[in-house]
Amino acid sequence: MKHAVAVTGVGVVSGFGLGVQPFWDGLVAGRTACRPARRVEAPGCLVAEVDHLEARDVVRSPQGRRIDRTSLLALAAAHLALADAGLAADELDAPRTALALGSAFGNVQETEMFLDRLLERGMGNPLVFPNLVMNAALSYAAIELGVTGPTAMVTEQEASGEAAIAWGVRQIADGAAALCLAGGSDELTSSIVELRRETWTASAGPPRPFDVAADGPCVGEGAALLVLEAPEAALARGARVYALIVPHDGASVASSLHGWPRDGGEVARVLTPLLAGADAIVAAASGAPALDALEAEAIALGCNGRHVPVTAPRGAIGDFGAAGALAVAAAALAVRDGIVPPTAGCRQPMRRDLDVVVGVPRHARLRAVVVDGLARGGMCRPLRLEAA
Amino acid sequence: MGHVAVTGIGAVTALGGDVGALAAGLVEGRCGIGPLTRFAHAGRCRLAAEVPELAPAAATAVLPPATVRRLSRPDHLALAAAEQALRQAGLDPVLRERAGIFVGATVGGMAESEDAYRRRRSGEDRRWRLSRLLGTPLSTSAAAIAQAFGMHGPRATYSTACSSSALAIAEAATAIASGRIETALAVGTDALCRITYAGFDALQALDPQGCRPFDRDRGGLSLGEGAAALVLEDAARARARGVRVLARVLGHATTSDAHHVTAPDPEGRGALAAVRGALAAAGVPSEAVDYVNAHGTGTRQNDDAEVRVLRAVFGRRLARIPVSSTKAQVGHCLGAAGAVEAVVTVLALDTSLLPPTATLLTPDPAWSDLDLVPTPGRRAPIAVALTSSYGFGGHNVTLILGRGE
Repeated sequence: MKHAVAVTGVGVVSGFGLGVQPFWDGLVAGRTACRPARRVEAPGCLVAEVDHLEARDVVRSPQGRRIDRTSLLALAAAHLALADAGLAADELDAPRTALALGSAFGNVQETEMFLDRLLERGMGNPLVFPNLVMNAALSYAAIELGVTGPTAMVTEQEASGEAAIAWGVRQIADGAAALCLAGGSDELTSSIVELRRETWTASAGPPRPFDVAADGPCVGEGAALLVLEAPEAALARGARVYALIVPHDGASVASSLHGWPRDGGEVARVLTPLLAGADAIVAAASGAPALDALEAEAIALGCNGRHVPVTAPRGAIGDFGAAGALAVAAAALAVRDGIVPPTAGCRQPMRRDLDVVVGVPRHARLRAVVVDGLARGGMCRPLRLEAA
Repeated sequence: MGHVAVTGIGAVTALGGDVGALAAGLVEGRCGIGPLTRFAHAGRCRLAAEVPELAPAAATAVLPPATVRRLSRPDHLALAAAEQALRQAGLDPVLRERAGIFVGATVGGMAESEDAYRRRRSGEDRRWRLSRLLGTPLSTSAAAIAQAFGMHGPRATYSTACSSSALAIAEAATAIASGRIETALAVGTDALCRITYAGFDALQALDPQGCRPFDRDRGGLSLGEGAAALVLEDAARARARGVRVLARVLGHATTSDAHHVTAPDPEGRGALAAVRGALAAAGVPSEAVDYVNAHGTGTRQNDDAEVRVLRAVFGRRLARIPVSSTKAQVGHCLGAAGAVEAVVTVLALDTSLLPPTATLLTPDPAWSDLDLVPTPGRRAPIAVALTSSYGFGGHNVTLILGRGE
């Protein structure tokens, strides 16, 4: 528990709506935000889109009017997280505030627009280009919030959110910053829907993580940011503490470059120390049968015969790069409320030795919840959240 | 932080496929900036610092052929640079197993994705599936390094524009200094692609005549490509296994301007805080610095802000500190720039040969107090060097490196 870092604010933008309340209510009720598409083209499949997100409601600086969607998702979640922590951006000690964002793909929509014009007319659009750099979301958030301390944009496929939060936890634990906003965002575009359908079968209905009949994920979008502080600092300002996060750097495991880790046993070896005494697990399972089976095996091995409740939020919020940031947010809320939400879409778990929470939420005192942080390319980036 | 040793370096740049070619090219004043050949471009500028020929790293042989076919150019560049650095450091498979990987990059497989997008859009080749875009994630280079060299420690990929790989080095050094890992490989890698080229050109940030950092007539930067890698390890461990220490990482700091999405803060406040923070972290007074490898992009905005920062830190002593921008020779390698310049700085510390600011023709009269090291560089023993990287969007990283001893 030494150097554990307090979560004092949570901001979530998801297919359930803007804010923690619709997100957590949706998860706890076992609903899914995967629905027929309204904004993107996704014929024949469901997606989890964020509605009613307008730049004019979120952005404050003149530069911010040109903000792209991935950056806007992150900025909206940042404002929500700060407000949730009882803070305003102008109260932050700017040089002692850090910021970390994770994203798997960055700004996809405007990259395509830029490329269309470049291929048609042979020239790039100078007004759009600044939004295409991978760190655009980080720059916008730093400018809008006035953060002048350490900043990092990190990317790690499906574990991009966990990677950014892990970086933020280190900043606080090492004393490099007094407060850190950390999380991630990824947008949904028509091309991402198409890409995913080419790569693997997308489910025709809602996704069914860990279910015997899992037949593919649904893609989604969203963002979540956490406010991280040293526990003493949180105590001193009378902040509510959701949970404490223990610093962890993750590990590479054998994998193909674009596929899931090969060996559940190897993943289990990374997870085992974190799973000791854990009361619940928030998994990366999205309804992709091969991943879900691999992850189920790793969790079963890592728990070593102990039945630990497992929930997989991607059944509710869809699958996207930064979904792991929402998984960490869910873990923080779970610790706060003593609730493990059910896995939306799962009816019959694929393994008997895996205690997937199905149908109704479980109520229990949760002393430790682990987010396993599995990603393609052979990354395991787990985080352990503990009760304060 | 003085106990973080650099024990291996690798580089693939426009000056050649390894560190030897880079070192020789730098002190000869050779310029790697030439005609852009990697793709057609119809804009104002047609120059770039391209990597001439790229031999695949031997380690690609351990990857499945189907994987190797899908590697992007930055993946190949990164593997080649990493292989050189690991070989020089003499890390055996046991030491590699727990080593961390810290990569900085900005484009990943963007050039390959652009090809796929173009072919698909034009109907030229329907077999180029959108799934080719899966090669795009920046994190692929780090994943490829992990699999090719059997490295199963922590791993992270950072993207803060032009300071990406300086941040990767800073993170690697922190992980070692805090005792979390004993060995780390820090890598920067980026390849030229249409989007960045057209984007910088549309912003009129490219000099059609080739970049001239700190020159009176500087008119922008020249884009480059390449990769550089550094093996960092606990200095006591390096001594114990008898490997030569090329340099040490003494300290670093990371700050944000919170000013503008493309332009640096003209006052250089964030950059100044990074330099001062790095010196403080290193426990080194500014008087001890005897070489600066500048960010020196050659844009008016950058060079103006950067000189302002150097003056604020060093005052009148700046006249006696050699300052060079090696971007004049290897171009601005964006995500790889911080690592390339760290390797250049390690070479300066290790060989006592300071690289020149090679394309300088007419020094800016406003900066007559600057020692910009004319070609062909200079022989001078140095003990403490400073190198800064300032990223698009205001992300600043300063590294302080010291002689190996």
